Amino acid sequence: MAVVAFKKIEKSFGKVKVIHGISFDIADGEFVVLVGPSGCGKSTLLRMLAGLEEIDSGDISIDGRVINELDSKDRDIAMVFQSYALYPHMTVRDNMGFSLKLRRADAALTSQRVANAARILNLDTLLDRYPRELSGGQRQRVAMGRAIVRDPKVFLFDEPLSNLDAKLRVAMRAEIKALHQRLKTTTVYVTHDQIEAMTLADRIVVMNDGIIEQIGTPLELFDQPCSLFVAQFIGSPAMNVFTGELHRADGQNWVQAGDNRWPVAATAAGSEGQSVNYGIRPGDIVIAPPGSGIPARVIVVEPTGAETELLLEVGASQFTVVLHGRTQAKPDDLVGLQIDAAKTHLFEQGSGKRLV
Amino acid sequence: MSKRWTWGKVSLEARLLLIGIPVFLWTMIPIYHLFLFAISSKDSATSGRLWPKQPTLQNFSIVLEQKHFYLNHFWQQLGNSLLIALAVGAITLFVSTTAAFAISRLKVQGGRSVMNLALFTYFIPAAFLAVPMYKTMANYGLLNSRWSLVLAMVTIASPYCIWVLKQASDKLPWELDEAARMDGATPLQLFRLVYIPLMVPSLVAVGVYALLLAWNEYLYGFLLLSKTSDLTLAVALGNFLAADDSPWELLMATGLIYALPPAAIYYAFKRYMVGGLTSGAVKS
Repeated sequence: MAVVAFKKIEKSFGKVKVIHGISFDIADGEFVVLVGPSGCGKSTLLRMLAGLEEIDSGDISIDGRVINELDSKDRDIAMVFQSYALYPHMTVRDNMGFSLKLRRADAALTSQRVANAARILNLDTLLDRYPRELSGGQRQRVAMGRAIVRDPKVFLFDEPLSNLDAKLRVAMRAEIKALHQRLKTTTVYVTHDQIEAMTLADRIVVMNDGIIEQIGTPLELFDQPCSLFVAQFIGSPAMNVFTGELHRADGQNWVQAGDNRWPVAATAAGSEGQSVNYGIRPGDIVIAPPGSGIPARVIVVEPTGAETELLLEVGASQFTVVLHGRTQAKPDDLVGLQIDAAKTHLFEQGSGKRLV
Repeated sequence: MSKRWTWGKVSLEARLLLIGIPVFLWTMIPIYHLFLFAISSKDSATSGRLWPKQPTLQNFSIVLEQKHFYLNHFWQQLGNSLLIALAVGAITLFVSTTAAFAISRLKVQGGRSVMNLALFTYFIPAAFLAVPMYKTMANYGLLNSRWSLVLAMVTIASPYCIWVLKQASDKLPWELDEAARMDGATPLQLFRLVYIPLMVPSLVAVGVYALLLAWNEYLYGFLLLSKTSDLTLAVALGNFLAADDSPWELLMATGLIYALPPAAIYYAFKRYMVGGLTSGAVKS
């Protein structure tokens, strides 16, 4: 249990600067996910917290104590690696107990802690196996067990689910979440998968090109992305975005794109005639009969059972719409799109900043 | 899979045999000769027959009981060979493992340059280095000590061993070191508890290589050792040829005995040898 603080962190590899002054705090017991495209610096930030990379400038502190110069082993943190990094020549039991063995902990204490972690993770029957005899999901659990046994102040996860197949990934995601709810240890989790971020996090830190784009709860990021980058990164399928011109007249706001007028929330900022990026999430569009709303043509219908995904064409651009239910629409059908102005997003052209 | 012989298979088999048979003969004929001499009596040894009229184990008993002028110190010399080979194997293993660990895992600054410098010594034939080596050993007062040969052989074996082990350690996942560091391992604990256990196959290969190199060494043994009781068996065998009428049958019998330990070691560890020595041969 601990508070973690990043203060003006910078990092370069040779001449390439990868982290440009990052500051944020993590509360005690919080589950924070660092998410962003590859090369955004999220793993580097995690590795600096772990003590595996030097910190060029700025401070990282745990519980108010600056840890920049401390060795990994003295930081009281445990990490789960993407490749699991289990010791191939040790049994599951020895893998999990290794850190305590290095600390010359009492044998009884070690075996008790290992047994405890094994029970939490359902590894009881596998303790005498070697990593090569385990499946991917079991190895992942051993890696987590190795972290739990330490009873550290902070858990670090570096893309722990990337090596698992899709089905197992969903199952392990739930296990990680359940584990955190049970242990309530402060956790920092790195992933490039926004769904993992959304489902796991108390708060998400969206990173891009070595800076923080936005910090917030999953739903804050989803509902009020502060930049075009966040808007397009968070949410699946991705937000529909196109460019248009903002107009205000007679108490109405709209974005003109081709022949169509797209409604805009009354609260939106921006000046008359300004070029903007207009965004609307696939789930926020309602399909209506042709003649009402904005005319569109169906290109592809993808039923997934509970939902139906439609690919539509409006003018020259393509749109994704997700319907919660089923539809009679077929390819080449003409439909109308109804848009709730309150659920639209406007971003400044160029800077990509949200207009509110 | 059909078991029918097609022309393609037959011709492939034929071509393999065409290469295989000469290679087999090339390798086996000298060994057969060695064996033939060893089981022939003194008079019939050079008769040129493919199998002696009266095969005998007499030669071996002469060798083992040290009943010949050249063989007065046979057991002592066999012991020397064994001792020196084991020492070279052990010391080379220690030197090259620690060096490879420092270069590959701890990334000690300048480590790669040191390794390349060491490898550079292979550009100079070992025979050219023999005289400087002799001088050096003289400077340290090590001439006539078995240590001189041990140290010389460690010097010759180490660069290659370091290189092989370095390539092999580069292949260990880096995350293992990081995981161990986070688990609280010091570099020495990492070396002892994680690195060494994972390197066992390569260590066996390298250790056996150094051991056999020392076991088979003639030139340096000949130069650095002079007391008869200090000689290795390889040098002692060479001394058989000093006389006009060399006892060939005894030379060959001793040679056969001398060849047995390497054969046994190679057979015991061949599983590691092929994998260990070729791993790292290709930079992947």
